[in-house]
Amino acid sequence: MPCEHYQNALIEAAATGFEPKGELRAHLAACAACRTAFAQEQSLFFSVDEGLRAVANPEVPASLLPRVRARLADEAAPIRSRRFPTFVLAGAAVMVVALLAARTAWHTNVEQPPSNTASDSTTSSAVRQQPQAQNSNAATPVTGNSGAHPQVAATRIPAHPASPAPRDSMPEVLVPPDQEVLLVSYAEQWRQRKRLPLVAADFDVTNLSPLQITPIQISQLDVKLMAEEQAQ
Amino acid sequence: MQELVLIQPSGTLGKESAREAQADASREFEARIAECGPLAYRVARGVLRNSADAEDVAQEALLRAYRSFDRLRDRNRFRAWLVRISFRLALDRLRSAKRREQRDVLWSQPAHQPPTATAEDLAASSEFQAHLDRALEELPEKLRLALLLAAMEGHTIDEIASLLGIPAGTVKSRIFVARKQLAEKLRCHVNITKTR
Repeated sequence: MPCEHYQNALIEAAATGFEPKGELRAHLAACAACRTAFAQEQSLFFSVDEGLRAVANPEVPASLLPRVRARLADEAAPIRSRRFPTFVLAGAAVMVVALLAARTAWHTNVEQPPSNTASDSTTSSAVRQQPQAQNSNAATPVTGNSGAHPQVAATRIPAHPASPAPRDSMPEVLVPPDQEVLLVSYAEQWRQRKRLPLVAADFDVTNLSPLQITPIQISQLDVKLMAEEQAQ
Repeated sequence: MQELVLIQPSGTLGKESAREAQADASREFEARIAECGPLAYRVARGVLRNSADAEDVAQEALLRAYRSFDRLRDRNRFRAWLVRISFRLALDRLRSAKRREQRDVLWSQPAHQPPTATAEDLAASSEFQAHLDRALEELPEKLRLALLLAAMEGHTIDEIASLLGIPAGTVKSRIFVARKQLAEKLRCHVNITKTR
C-alpha cells in the first residue's frame, strides 16, 4: 500500500506523465511501496493511452470513400432529374389535354351527321337558293396542312355556309389528298338526300291550287261462261 | 475599320458561371472528403466501437456536410464541423442502439452483452480493451471527444482546440480529467489482471 499522504500526488504525476519532483521524488526514493504504486499508476495510464490509441486510430475501411462518392452521386442525381420530370410532366399533361381535345373533336364529328337534321331544317331554303355557292364552299378544302403532310388533307364540310357557325361545329376530316374530292361529293350527296323531305315541307300550302281528282272510269265487265268459250 | 465583338448573352453567362461555381464546389468537396473522411470515421468508431456502424455514421456525416456545404461560410472550419457532425451522429446511434438493446433485454432477458462487434473488432479487443470501451462510454461527451481527438494521430492540442472551438487550456484540462476518470474506472481491472 502506498502512503496515503502521497497517493494523490502519485496519481497526478502518473497522469501528467512528467517525472516526480521535489518532495515526492525524495519520498519515492525512500518508499518501496509508493515506488510500486507509482509504477502501477504509470502502467495504468500507459495502458489507457494505448487502448485509446487503438480506439481512436482504427484502420479506415477502403470501402468508405467509394461508398460516400456513390451516395453523393445518388444524392446529386435526383436534383438533376427533379427538373426533368417537371418538363416531362408538363409535356405529358399538354399531350393528354391535346389527345382528349382531339378525341372529343373526333367524336363530335362522327356524331354530327345524324344531329344535323334539325339544324339543316332551318337552313334548307338557303340550301335551295344557293346550291352553287354551297357547292363551291364545300368543295373548297382547308388545305393548311396538306403541304406539310402530303398523306392527308383536312377537308371542312360546312353545315351551313351562310350562318356564322362556330368553328367547332364544322366537321373536319383528315383524308388522303386523292380522296378529298370524293369525300366532298359524297358529303354533298348525303346532305341533299337528307334534305329532300325537309325541302318539301317548306312549301306554302296556301299558295297551292286545290287538288283535282278525276274519277276513275272502269269499263263494263264482259263475263262469258266457260261452256260458251269451249263451244266457240 | 469597325471592330466586332462577340457578346455572350447575360443569361447564358450567368448559367455558365453558376455551373462553374457548382463544379468548383464539387471539386473542393471531393478534396475535403479525401482529407476528412477518415477523421469522420475515426470519431464515429471511437464512440461506437463498431466498424460497420462507424462507416455508416461517417458516410451519413459526409452526406450531411455535402448537403450544407454551400451554407458553410468559413470553409476552413469544415474539419471541425465534420467532427461535430460525426460525433453527434455517433452518439445518437449509440443511444438508439442502447434503447434497442434495453428493449431486447426486457423481452428476452439475456445477460448483458456488449454491442455486436465484427470478427475484426473481436480479434482486436482484449479484456482490458472491453473495459476501456465501457469506461469511455461512461465519460461525459465533452471529455470523450477531446480525449478521442487527442488520441488520434497527428492532432496537437492547438488543433484540437481549433476543432472544438475552445481554448487550448480547456482542451488540456478536459484531456487530463478524462484520463484520470478512465484510470479510476480501470484501476481495479488492472490490479485484477496483474494479480492473475
